Amino acid sequence: FRPCPIATVARRESRSHAGDSSCASLAMAEVEETLKRIQAHKGVIGTIVVNAEGIPIRTTLDNSTTVQYAGLLHQLTMKARSTVRDIDPQNDLTFLRIRSKKHEIMVAPDKEYLLIVIQNPCE
Amino acid sequence: MSSSAHAGKSKRHSVVVSVTSKPEFNMKRTSISGTSSQRQISHASGFHPSRIGSLSRRSILITSDGKTMDKGSLIGSKHTIQVFDEQGKDVTPRPLYRPEPSASLHRQSKILSTQDFSGATGSDFLSSLSMHQTSGVNASLVGPFSRTYGSSSISKSTTSTTESIADEIVEPGSRRDTAISLSDVLVRREEIKEQLTKEDIDKRVDIYLTETETIWLLDMPTVMVSIESEDAEKVKERNKDYIELCKNRVGNDCFVERMMQTLNGAPKNKEVQCDKILMEDKGIMATSWDLYDSFNALETTLAPSVTERSSRPTSLSSSKSNVTKDRERTMSITSTDRESITSSSIIDLESVILARIHEEEEDHSEAILKSEKFQQDLFFMERVLMENVFQPKLAAYRQLPVLIEPVLTSDAGKEEAVTEEAEEEEEEEEGEEEEEEEEQKEIVVGSSILLDLSEAPEEILPPSLERLWSYTCELTNGHNVSCMAWNKLNPDLLAVGYGQFGFQEQKKGLACCWSLKNPMWPERIYQCDHGVTALDFSLANPNLLAVGMYSGTIAIYNVQTHNTTALLDSSESFDKHIGPVWQLKWIEQDRGTTGDDKGEILISISGDGRITKWLIRKGLGCTDLMKLKRTASERKKLTGEKEKKSEALISRQPPGMCFDFDPRNTNIYLAGTEEGHIHKCSCSYNEQFLETYQAHKGPVYKIAWNPFSTDMFLSCSADWSIILWRQDSLRPILTFSSTTNVVHDIMWSPKSAFVFAAVNEGRVEIWDLSVSTLDPLIVTFANPGVKFTTVLFARNTDCILIGDSDGIVSVYELRNMTASDSNKVDALHDIIGSALAS
Repeated sequence: FRPCPIATVARRESRSHAGDSSCASLAMAEVEETLKRIQAHKGVIGTIVVNAEGIPIRTTLDNSTTVQYAGLLHQLTMKARSTVRDIDPQNDLTFLRIRSKKHEIMVAPDKEYLLIVIQNPCE
Repeated sequence: MSSSAHAGKSKRHSVVVSVTSKPEFNMKRTSISGTSSQRQISHASGFHPSRIGSLSRRSILITSDGKTMDKGSLIGSKHTIQVFDEQGKDVTPRPLYRPEPSASLHRQSKILSTQDFSGATGSDFLSSLSMHQTSGVNASLVGPFSRTYGSSSISKSTTSTTESIADEIVEPGSRRDTAISLSDVLVRREEIKEQLTKEDIDKRVDIYLTETETIWLLDMPTVMVSIESEDAEKVKERNKDYIELCKNRVGNDCFVERMMQTLNGAPKNKEVQCDKILMEDKGIMATSWDLYDSFNALETTLAPSVTERSSRPTSLSSSKSNVTKDRERTMSITSTDRESITSSSIIDLESVILARIHEEEEDHSEAILKSEKFQQDLFFMERVLMENVFQPKLAAYRQLPVLIEPVLTSDAGKEEAVTEEAEEEEEEEEGEEEEEEEEQKEIVVGSSILLDLSEAPEEILPPSLERLWSYTCELTNGHNVSCMAWNKLNPDLLAVGYGQFGFQEQKKGLACCWSLKNPMWPERIYQCDHGVTALDFSLANPNLLAVGMYSGTIAIYNVQTHNTTALLDSSESFDKHIGPVWQLKWIEQDRGTTGDDKGEILISISGDGRITKWLIRKGLGCTDLMKLKRTASERKKLTGEKEKKSEALISRQPPGMCFDFDPRNTNIYLAGTEEGHIHKCSCSYNEQFLETYQAHKGPVYKIAWNPFSTDMFLSCSADWSIILWRQDSLRPILTFSSTTNVVHDIMWSPKSAFVFAAVNEGRVEIWDLSVSTLDPLIVTFANPGVKFTTVLFARNTDCILIGDSDGIVSVYELRNMTASDSNKVDALHDIIGSALAS
């Protein structure tokens, strides 16, 4: 039972976070601004950012819809990525767009997150 | 025989076997082995539900000695033995096996027939059979007996034969029996019933024994070694030794035959029960990318090992541990998060850990948002959204066919759209363009135009300007667009400078770089302390943007990075401008004489009357190309005009407003001043003007050489006029004055030598000299309250950009401009000539 090392590690971590905060906050501000712009864009119905486990980080829709979109699109993205890579393993999926009668769903997939934007382009 | 039969019968308890055999037959025939039809189920029970098979139907006759008559006395040609128990129920055991009738049949019969059974004794037959059985080589022989049960039964029967004595009725190969019986059922063989006669018994029977081929179980061929080989001696030695050994072996004491008996210990059974082995099924689809990934992962872990062998295991483990740690971390975060909610941490230690993990979790989601990849994805997403919205416009810009979006609005909406279309069509034909706010209408208009064109191909529409979109955002609202410039490398990148023209309205300006792909938000925003009055992109380094400001400062930005601070600034340099920089240009110049730096220099003209050349050498250094001097205006002597008193001059140098370099010879350039004079100067002389063109009565705001015919240039001024000059003539060739507004900007079209655009405050005019020199071809009016201030032609498409005083840069498409293919220069000269003549 040695509490000390872990506590010091924790302190160290927090310190490093403080150090990064300035540039981090700048980046965050820019990201926030861009997200806001996207959300305010014409025809955009909703914007969702989910992490790899399907937990939404940012969303403008209600929770149930978000969870639904996240789950379904995650599976579809996996399938799409698998398809692309099956054809050529050096290739990878960068963007996925699903055009439907009512909306267009745009997904920017990544290992750690999914960026989903739903737009109604005809509006 | 009969006694034995009786004995057999007596053995049967409570079982009645009805044997429908002929008794005398029994007496005579001694059936053995295969032919015997009685079955011995078990020795102990003595229950004989024997079924006498029909082996006897075959032409197998076995004569035997009296001894053998003990066995299998009961023979029947066709017996069906039925067994009834006490109650009289039919408990005839049915055969457990019904062999395939087809193949085995034939063979079997053959086998049995090939053997000459006639002379064989029962035991002999059995033994021979068994012999064959055990040898097990001849496949055909083994055929029906190949089934282990068959063989075992045969072996069993052999033992039983040897063991059993008179009382037992042996039936070897019970299964075989059934097989045979089946075969009997299926294949009706010829039934040869032979009656044994006394003569037969005494008859000489020939038994033929044949030898099968040798079966090699082990073959070790001798190894031959050549005498000349190296090992020959050794081999010979060895051989000799071996022979000696064999010889000596016989009586040698070293080799004694001994026999030993292994003592078998008493075995003990021990039972052990093991834990239940849990089985789990796991399935994975081996996709080609999965294989590729694993292969790559292997390679990347092996690659560092090539360099450092010792650290390989550590690197491997570390990389793996990293990966697993990440995963574990994410996994553990979620799990501990839940735990932290439910559990109550009392010990500080725990809380510290949990806090750290909580931090980590927050950081993780923050990290995602801050990650570069995310920013990039956002960037792309924004562009994609823009594309969705602006697609028809962009397509029109690129002169691609416009995709008509399937309109999903209700019928009412459709009607509305249709009426709008009709309105638009009418207006279109009038040749005037309507400023529209909503883009939906524009989509409709776009489609209507397309439809229009498609419907009436013969109808020639007059040239017109079609508004596509505008570059504007909230940052630029209220600013006056003072200058625009295209990037030299990427024709879709536009730099726009925002700054007020007048002295009173000065406020902070900005320079923005707009991309075609995102008309709603500029890619780069550079805030400047003073209004931006001039802009230009460099040709040699297309990422450099020079910005000139109202204060006279020139700043150079690098647009590649997101850095909003200027790369270079002239505010520190010695000879910086004092007056506003009205025009900037990067000029390619060969500096053959000096040999210093070949290439590009930045030239500016400013309100302090100087034309300066800037060099990027550890900061901005400049040298003056020319100092503008006030020239005395030569007035024509007009009768009745009185001489004005010479004005008190504020400065000796008139402010320079604009300049333009001769496209053919970059040594020569034209400069326009506030006085209204246009001076032709040379870079080699910085004292004298080569020529002065005086015709304007107000400041010359813009000079433009004709890109095709470099003899001509155009100038516009605040005196409401645009003048076309020819280089060698001091008098203007043509004057275009169509408005009573200050003409702010002019530009020749890059595609045609006759077309130029002029912007005065209230409207945009497109002139086509080949059509008319008196009136503009297209006139577009500005929104009330908004003044047009700048114009720019797009290089790669038929579009024109117009900046106004409200910070909006609108993109218009030139439609239906007739393309003139004639030799431009000559045609222009002709026009000029005709104009001059008239």
